Parts: sequence; C-alpha cells; structure tokens
Amino acid sequence: MRARDVFGYSFSAIKLRKLRAGLTTLGVLIGIAAIVALLSITQGLQNTITMQLETGLATDTLIVSPGGGAFGGGQDGGGFGGGAFGGADSGFRLLVNDTQTINGLSTDILTSIAVIQRSGYINSTEHERVTTIVGVDFAEYKNIYSTTFVSESGEIPDNPDNNTIIIGKRVNERQNGTVLFTAGEDVQILWTNATARPPQNESYTAHVATVLQEVGGFAFGGPSDSNIYIPISTAQEFFNTSECEIIIVKLANSDQATIDAVSRKIVDEFAGEVSVISSTAVLNLLGSVFSIIELFLVGIAAISLLVAGIGIMNIMIVSLIERTREIGILKALGMKSRTVLAIFLGESVIIGVIGAVIGIALGWLLANIVATVLGSGAITIGMGGGAGAGGGLLSITPVLTPLVFLGAFGFGVGVSVIFALYPAWRASKLKPVEALRYE
Amino acid sequence: MAPVVEAVELKKTYMLGKIPVEALRGVNLKVESGDFLAILGPSGSGKSTMLNLVGALDKPTAGTLLIDGVDVSKLNDNQLADLRRRVGFVFQFFNLIPRFTARDNVELSMSIAGVSKVERKKQAEDLLETVGLKDRMNHKPAELSGGQQQRVAIARALANNPRFLLLDEPTGNIDSKTAHEVMDIIKSLNEKGVTTIMVTHDQHLARAAKRTVQMFDGVITLDVVNGELT
Repeated sequence: MRARDVFGYSFSAIKLRKLRAGLTTLGVLIGIAAIVALLSITQGLQNTITMQLETGLATDTLIVSPGGGAFGGGQDGGGFGGGAFGGADSGFRLLVNDTQTINGLSTDILTSIAVIQRSGYINSTEHERVTTIVGVDFAEYKNIYSTTFVSESGEIPDNPDNNTIIIGKRVNERQNGTVLFTAGEDVQILWTNATARPPQNESYTAHVATVLQEVGGFAFGGPSDSNIYIPISTAQEFFNTSECEIIIVKLANSDQATIDAVSRKIVDEFAGEVSVISSTAVLNLLGSVFSIIELFLVGIAAISLLVAGIGIMNIMIVSLIERTREIGILKALGMKSRTVLAIFLGESVIIGVIGAVIGIALGWLLANIVATVLGSGAITIGMGGGAGAGGGLLSITPVLTPLVFLGAFGFGVGVSVIFALYPAWRASKLKPVEALRYE
Repeated sequence: MAPVVEAVELKKTYMLGKIPVEALRGVNLKVESGDFLAILGPSGSGKSTMLNLVGALDKPTAGTLLIDGVDVSKLNDNQLADLRRRVGFVFQFFNLIPRFTARDNVELSMSIAGVSKVERKKQAEDLLETVGLKDRMNHKPAELSGGQQQRVAIARALANNPRFLLLDEPTGNIDSKTAHEVMDIIKSLNEKGVTTIMVTHDQHLARAAKRTVQMFDGVITLDVVNGELT
C-alpha cells in the first residue's frame, strides 16, 4: 500500500469519530500549550533580567568584598555569597588603599577602584530624598563603566572638586517627571553616623556637577539610577573611614581562565578573607537558576502530556476493539500486518501533529497574553537596583526559541506515537480468521 | 496449466480450549481454471475451514495445499497477505467498509495492492458498471440494498484480477429475488472465464455450479460434475 493511501486511510478513520479524536487531540494540545507558554515566558523573563543585569555589569570586572570563603568566577557559578552570611566576624576590613595591593597582583589587572557606600539624604531648599551615597574615583569609574557612567549633559569631571556630586537619573525625577535637582545647584548631603555615641548627623554642601543618563538595569557594583556619586577622597573624609565596601577590579580580558586565575590570586593575597565575584559568575548562576526553574515547569507540563498519552492509548485500544472486524476485512483483502500497524500509528501521528501545532500556537498566544498583563502594570514587580530604589515595570517579551518549538512539536508527536505503539501492534497481530468472525 | 487450487490429504485441527477438534480430516480436491465449484455441506462439515484455507486466511495443520501453484504451508504472514490479493473473497455479510462509498470500497483492495489512484478509479468504475451499479457508486453501503452491497463486494473481489472468486454463502443474507440477480452476475462472470469456488449449505444455489462437492465430517463425500458422479 502506498504511503499516501495509508495516510488517507488513517485520516478517514479519524474523521469518522470527530468528537473522540477532537478530545484526544485536546489532551495533547493542552500539554504542549502549557510547555510552550511556560518555557517562552521563563525564557523571556530570563532575557529581561539578564539584559538588565548586563546593563549594570561589565563582564571584564571582578567585585572584591570582605568576608572570605567564597571563590567567585568558577564555572560552577558558586561565587555568590559564600562567607558573606556565615561565620564569626574575623575583624578583617577591606581598605581603600588595598587597591594598590591588588593592582600589583597580576598583569591581567588593568586597574582597581575602591567603593565606599552609605545611605543618606540629598536635600535642596525644596526637596529631600533618600539615596545611596557612593564614593568613587570618577575618572577610573568612568573608565570601567564607560557605557553606563555617562552624563546626561556635559562631562563627568576627571579631577572633581571635593564638593562635586553626580546624581543618578531616578534620584532626580519623581514618577511624574518633576525634576528635583538641577545641574549647577547647591545641595546638602546628609549622613547619620550610627556608630558614634550618640549617633551624629553629618552634612556638607555639595555642588551638582551633572545628572547621569538613565542606566535602567541592576546595579551590581556598577552605576545605578538611584545613587549619587561623590569623589572617593570626600567620602573618606565625610564618612571618616579608610575602609571600603567593595573593590572593583578591571581585567585585561574577560575570558574564564583569566577570571579564575585573578580571582584565586586575590583570595590568596587576602588569606581567604575576601570574596571575589565575577559578573559572568552572576550571570552563570542566574542561568542555572533559570534552568532549574524551567526544568521544574516543563516537568509539570510534561505530566499533563503523559496523561494525554495514556488517553491516546486508551482511545486507540477502544478503537482497535471496535474495528476488529474492519481489520479482518483489510487483512482478507491482502493487507500486510505492517500496513495495519502503519494505519494505526498514522492516526496517532495525525492527532499528535494537530495537537502539537495548535498547542504551540495556543501556548505562544497565552505567553503573550500573560506578558501583556504583566507589562501593562496590572502586576508591578520592583526591579530597581540599589538601596531605596523605586519600583519599575516588568516588561517580558516571550521568547520561542527554535529548540523549544521543535522540542514541543517532537514531544507532542512522540508521546502520541509511543502510546499508540501497543494498540497498533495489537491491531497488526490480529488473526484474519478470528477478526472476521468478531461481532 | 496448473490447477487453481490443489489439496492433498489436507488436515486442519483446531484447539477448542484444550480439546483438539479435527475440522478437516484429509481432503483431496483439485480445481481447474474456469471451473465453477460449489462446496456443499451442513454446519460442522468443515466447509468454513476449507474456505479459510483456500482463501489463504489460515494455514493447514497437515497435508498440502497449493493455491495458484504456491504451497501455503511454506508461507509467512507477509507472503500469505500477498497471496490473498490473488483471491477474490466475497463474504456472506458483505464486509464493506461503512464509511467508504461503493467506489472507495472497490478501490480499497486495489489500494492495498499498491495500484495508483488514477488506475484504480477507472478500474473501479468499470467493475461497478459490470455489476450494474455505476449510478450508485457514490453511495455508502448503508444507502444500498443487500443485493447491491453484495454486488459491490463482488466488484471489490474482482478488482485485482484474482485467479479465482471465493464466495461464502453469497446470497445467504439477501432476499431471494435479489439473490437471483447476484447469482446471475456470478454465473455470467464464470462464463467469461472467472474461476469460481462457492461455499454454501443451499442445494438450490449449488445447482448454478458446474461441479458440486459434498462435505461431511471433515472429508469430501461426494463429487458431482455436470450432474455426473466422479
């Protein structure tokens, strides 16, 4: 029998029982739709978060922070946290001038800068705002974050005066767009020294040099829309400290070997009292977290497809019993067992293909509806980096990768065929004499 | 020319639960090309078993059965299926596919044999014309009378130019008036050279045949050719 005729015969058998075939197809369809919707939303979410992270991250940088134990940058992505939470305070302090030590460690290190960070206020005559005050070397910081530490208008001074400040975009604007502070304005910078007894308010008058362009992403060591920036020397004096929160290390290149080697050297140099986190490690970690989430979601969706498969098997066995006599006729007319097998498998392929195609389309539609609902602000998830940041909308663009598309299609058809194998095999093994006698 | 069917000491034993039942106990039969043979016998005589064996639906337990010169007992399932395409089977209960039109039913046996769509369409129309159903060819079995359904089944049986027609109580399920029409078609086909083997328990029907064999208790007890005992 020609393949086309086999297929035509399968199709005629399905057409005969439209409702039954429709319901069976629905089972496959729902499973596939669930898989596609979940995967494309997760993929979209991952892309959004990764993109936001990458905006604030430079892949050729390492972040050194006090608190030993963790060694960042490994392929295992285990560099996040580590000793940051655990263990007793060893009394180790990361100092601003440790940058000199770090700079001398490797020729792969281009430069490193210390970052001092405190919560505080920025006040003008009319407005007051909570912010994070960040002390950095402007010239070096600009060098490392050349795409994000950029002024909205004018230049970021390389050799700023002690009272120069630069403010992040969001510090400057409320949600309704009112500009709070303008470049050239004099403002008060306030900070409460809680370690002093009694706690003491410190303040000084600063001059707004410029406002940063919108960064938009997470601040992971890098510039953030909700921070204000002061020169490192001013920060040391104002906060009365020689310690820093983190040291940002800029590497000559961003390959994994360099990241690993330099990270190890730094950790060794400080006798394990510091953690080194690479941007790539953070991204890797994020990637593996998403992989687990995806696996989990797909696992759940796959169960529904498994149920659909059992449904197919059930319906095919019923169909086989109903059509015993028909199979007998076909065999009496000279049809071979393998053709009977092909007819039954053909039916399951048709169900699988229709279910998978409509399922993928429906899943994609669902993903877009969910993304639109999330994006419209019906649900708002705060994504602002840094301390005291405002909320932002989560905009997800669902992504349907060719792999997901083909995978879902193959899975749908595959499940249909696998569960049809047994009934089809049984049909093909029917003895013509007995099948013809069947009432 | 080799006989169309040749049986030598043909035996078939069924297991009915754990009890062996000897349905055929040594049948010797030779059917030549152009014959019109009726196999007569009461139920339990073994004629249905004979029908299944001659139709290549089943294999004998012992003895030799040659269909179109091929030893059936040496064939596997696939080869048996191939052999069946050379047999034109007509069943008592028509056994048409209900969802197919008359023409599609006739085409089905050709489709199974791998004949192209264009060729089978033409052949099906010609055959339905032969059995006088050209104007009903787009009707489904449910829209046809019993006699018409059996004529469709005959057309289907002829579709692959079989070596012989094998009829199982061809008029057993239709009224006597249309039964005549069906028998007339069968007779005229035989006159045109189609070898015909008919299994029936109906003496009247058997008279249409040139040769009649009587079966009883798994053996042939009587063989009559043109009214003469052999």
